[in-house]
Amino acid sequence: MIIAAFVITAFAALVLVAVSRTHRQMNSICIGEAAVFLILAVWLLLSGQVPVLSFVLGNQYFFIDHLGIYEALIATIIFLLAAIYARGYVDNLLESHELGRGSLKLFYGAWAFLLALIVLAFFSDNLALFWIFTELTTVVSAILIAILYARDNIDAAIKYIFIASVSMLFSFVGLVFLFQISRSVFGTGTLNWTVLMQQAPAYPAGMMIAAFALIFIGLAAKSGIFPFHTWLPEAHVRAPSAVSAILSGVLLNVGIYGIIRVFAIVHRTTAVSTVTILLLVSGLLTVGIAAFSMLPQKKLKKLIAFSSIENMGLILIGLAIATPLAIFWTLFHVMAHSFTKAGLFFSAGILHRQYHSPLSADAVDDMHDVFRFQPVAAWGIILGGLAIIGMPLFPVFLSKLFILTQLFTVSLPALALLLVLLFIAAASLGYYVISTFTTVSQGPGDRDIVAYKTPAGMKWPIIILLVLILILGTVFTSGEIAFLDTIVSELMF
Amino acid sequence: MIDNAFIESVIRVLFAVVIITAAYIISTRNLITLVSAYAFQSLTLVCMALALYFHEGTPVLLAIAFITFISKVLIIPYFITNIQERIRIKRDIEFHFLSPTTSLLLSMAVILFIYLALSNILTGTAARDSLFFFGAVIGISLMLMGMMVTFSRKRAITKVLGYLSMENGVLLFGMFVTELPFIIEFLIVIDLIILVMLTTILSVGLDSTLEEYHDRLHRFHLVEDTEDGS
Repeated sequence: MIIAAFVITAFAALVLVAVSRTHRQMNSICIGEAAVFLILAVWLLLSGQVPVLSFVLGNQYFFIDHLGIYEALIATIIFLLAAIYARGYVDNLLESHELGRGSLKLFYGAWAFLLALIVLAFFSDNLALFWIFTELTTVVSAILIAILYARDNIDAAIKYIFIASVSMLFSFVGLVFLFQISRSVFGTGTLNWTVLMQQAPAYPAGMMIAAFALIFIGLAAKSGIFPFHTWLPEAHVRAPSAVSAILSGVLLNVGIYGIIRVFAIVHRTTAVSTVTILLLVSGLLTVGIAAFSMLPQKKLKKLIAFSSIENMGLILIGLAIATPLAIFWTLFHVMAHSFTKAGLFFSAGILHRQYHSPLSADAVDDMHDVFRFQPVAAWGIILGGLAIIGMPLFPVFLSKLFILTQLFTVSLPALALLLVLLFIAAASLGYYVISTFTTVSQGPGDRDIVAYKTPAGMKWPIIILLVLILILGTVFTSGEIAFLDTIVSELMF
Repeated sequence: MIDNAFIESVIRVLFAVVIITAAYIISTRNLITLVSAYAFQSLTLVCMALALYFHEGTPVLLAIAFITFISKVLIIPYFITNIQERIRIKRDIEFHFLSPTTSLLLSMAVILFIYLALSNILTGTAARDSLFFFGAVIGISLMLMGMMVTFSRKRAITKVLGYLSMENGVLLFGMFVTELPFIIEFLIVIDLIILVMLTTILSVGLDSTLEEYHDRLHRFHLVEDTEDGS
């Protein structure tokens, strides 16, 4: 029944967006939708109903387990903060004529719809249903990217749609394979994850490898894994920063979530040894490509986008290790990365508003005197940057440390390689921040620049996220550990 | 009931027709015939679903045939033709990476490869000799041929047709395997329609190929420097 509450809320939000007139109203509706979703998710968690298995719909299309509610919580928190942030940000887009007033309805409608789709994807038991929701998130988020008055945005959106959708078709073929496997073993085929998990030990290895590889292609494209990552930097740079935060903090998780689910099935078959090699190699390649692309990067948002790719690679490596401890910290890393990255994109958005970066994706940012103009955003970037490269006190430090120590038990060369790559990525981020943020204008011409008056609604999400990650990185409650442990045991690792 | 062997041979003929339309989609340069070829391909799939229904008798196949007919033979081709008239592009003669001839040769290799690979995977199982095997081979080949179209054409609107052709391959493959619930087939069609509408509308926004558009930006010095653009 609880699913119905989510669907009704989303539907109400869509209707309200359709009838509302001003930007403020539409924005408030999106904030409200995210807040209601968050309350519902927290209530579900605290009332101890999870896992929810029985629904009115036949054939058990939906279910809610701890992993689903975990991802949904991350998603709703980021959506809530992004919606608060979007008010000031979109106002400025309207003022500078980068966004037409006529597009506002489409923008917020797509926004509200996207949140519902993502949450439903996390609550799908049937993998084909999950596939459809994931595929729809591509289309809807492409609207959010293409919304600005710039042809480069359309370009980026079309590229995103084609790469993601074409790859997702391979996933569907993989799902049909999976269905056929379960049918050949147990007579009647199913794509329900819970049933597949129970049947998994009987599945033949050869077909499982083929099925996993095909499913992996599409979900890898959704989460920006090499070699399907090419859409990601462009889309993240082009999109309005509030949307970039969602793309990076939430949408990439959808792909990773799918990979975790399917890998959990494979983990119970004999195909696991081959599949872990696939995951490990593509994870290392992804981190490598991201690290070397970050090195010469002169554009802040692109740098942050490549850092997302790097973290997705790290998550794959964590999965490939496949010990319960590694899975625990991989899940933690998913959350740590999402919150940190959202904060970074929010800060980058403020700087973007201040300095109105040039049109091209590769043009150099022209930033100077950041501390004079935008102290909050500057500190957001510095602290967020420290957090994302994994400095102590921040949650990424913990997850990276434990994933790396677990990797040590699997393969020493891989660990050495990964350390070098992570160092390169961290160094390039540090180099960029130091060289940009220490630039102080000298000529009198630069004095003309007017400081962009950042609305409080754009500053607070950054501060909240920074506080949140500081708490996550320093305080570890037993409830949190028990919660993550439950997810690991539900995934049967 | 109609003789099973007869229906099987009908389905085999339809397989051949599907491959021919796919080859046509790869090689033609005229956009209007491209859309017609796609509509015809979808119609072939409808016939195949009907033939399969007489063969196996699962009512879901009837529903699939119906919904495919409505969406892929009527709505989507109509929509794309409409858009094409609006942006006044009649021919798509530019290709990336692959010329039509190379694509055709490559697709022959692809079909052969998939035939061998799948017969390897499925040897010994009951699936090897059934229609499922041929459905899988033709479906996946059609998918890869569609992918070739998506990546070798320059205009977004032709890319869409490549994608749609891929999706037909998936449907074809799915028809021979699944008892997938109808609701899922239905949602996939909804997804497809949204995707087609969005991409075609966006391509009106572009109104030209992505590369041409970058060239134009360069010419007006709006962009200082791009890596490779596309």
